[in-house]
Amino acid sequence: MHRTLPAILFVLVALTPGRAAAQEPRLAGRLPDQTRRDVEALLDSARTAGLPTEPLVDRALEGATKHAPGERIVAAVRRLAADLAASRDAFGAGVSDAEIAAGASALRAGARADDLARLREIRSDQPVTVAAAVLTDLVALGVPPDTATAAVLALAERAKDSEYLAFRRNIERDVALGATPVAALEFQMQSAANLFDAGPGRAAGAANRPRKP
Amino acid sequence: MAEHDDRLDRAIALLREPVPLDADLDRRIAERIAALPAPRRAGPLRLAARWLVERRLRVRPVWALAAAAVLMVVTWGVRGLIPAPPPAATTAAAPGLQTVRFVVLAPGAAHVSLVGDFNDWTEDATPMQRIATSDLWAASVPMKPGRYRYAFVADGTTWLVDPDAPPALDDDFGRPNSVVTIGGS
Repeated sequence: MHRTLPAILFVLVALTPGRAAAQEPRLAGRLPDQTRRDVEALLDSARTAGLPTEPLVDRALEGATKHAPGERIVAAVRRLAADLAASRDAFGAGVSDAEIAAGASALRAGARADDLARLREIRSDQPVTVAAAVLTDLVALGVPPDTATAAVLALAERAKDSEYLAFRRNIERDVALGATPVAALEFQMQSAANLFDAGPGRAAGAANRPRKP
Repeated sequence: MAEHDDRLDRAIALLREPVPLDADLDRRIAERIAALPAPRRAGPLRLAARWLVERRLRVRPVWALAAAAVLMVVTWGVRGLIPAPPPAATTAAAPGLQTVRFVVLAPGAAHVSLVGDFNDWTEDATPMQRIATSDLWAASVPMKPGRYRYAFVADGTTWLVDPDAPPALDDDFGRPNSVVTIGGS
């Protein structure tokens, strides 16, 4: 419960009227005036809360390019801001903006805040951006959120970013070839375990095959 | 069955009978050949072609190896003069950046753009280049480690996802995106 408190506080602060908002020049000419004012108020709240604002600007600009209605853009930015707040709270202090953004996507995909905290704890010596992103991607491929989370946490101690990406790519390939997402995940988990048991050089070699990330 | 065997035997016997030839046949063939026009004298092109087609080179194995070595040296030298092709996937760029190659199939499109978190979702920021005369379009973008959502826009109206990338789950505007993740370790 205590992990959702900052997100709730963020929403309350963001909804407070009469706040002076800083100008974001990239929104000029891309959003209707009222939508721009509402988004800038949300950006100002995010800055005050110490959250990254770049993902919020990106979301607003995406909505503008897709010709979404103003209220829908504002709602999307507000929701993302709440996710960012929850992600930052789950990871704790000292994480980068990219990590917070990746964590927000993982939460949206169904991961729990406690799982993100655990991921950060295990990978305390390296960024969690890719691990959280792979968790999200696995859910997008059809792996249930709990199963995807368990897999990402199981790899967290030994996998490099490149190995996480190779792991996700292999599952994606197996699913494209007809395997069910969970079966593909199980097979690749076993393969990853074998590679790690075989030594770091072999694992890195397998992960460094030239492929698209 | 016996009737079929009888017919077959008769057919074989018929085919084995000698064919009577006209005694004057040889003379008439010789006359036809003599009446044909004389062949033209071969020109230089014809001679060159004949030389190329009919000439047989006999090379000792040691000279063949030497020729192959010279060819390799020349080939490697020429390769150094030709610029390398664009990367097919992710390659190292400036420190901290990786160049990601995006490719999409857009049949019939006259113009394709890449839009995403890395270019403010601006349609004219990253125009894609057509690959030869195909319906494939490509663009290379240097990126910092992180997770980026993106899509392709054909002719300003048709939104396309990347079939070679995971879909983005956080679709707030009814047009799906793809995701690219750049690692740092």
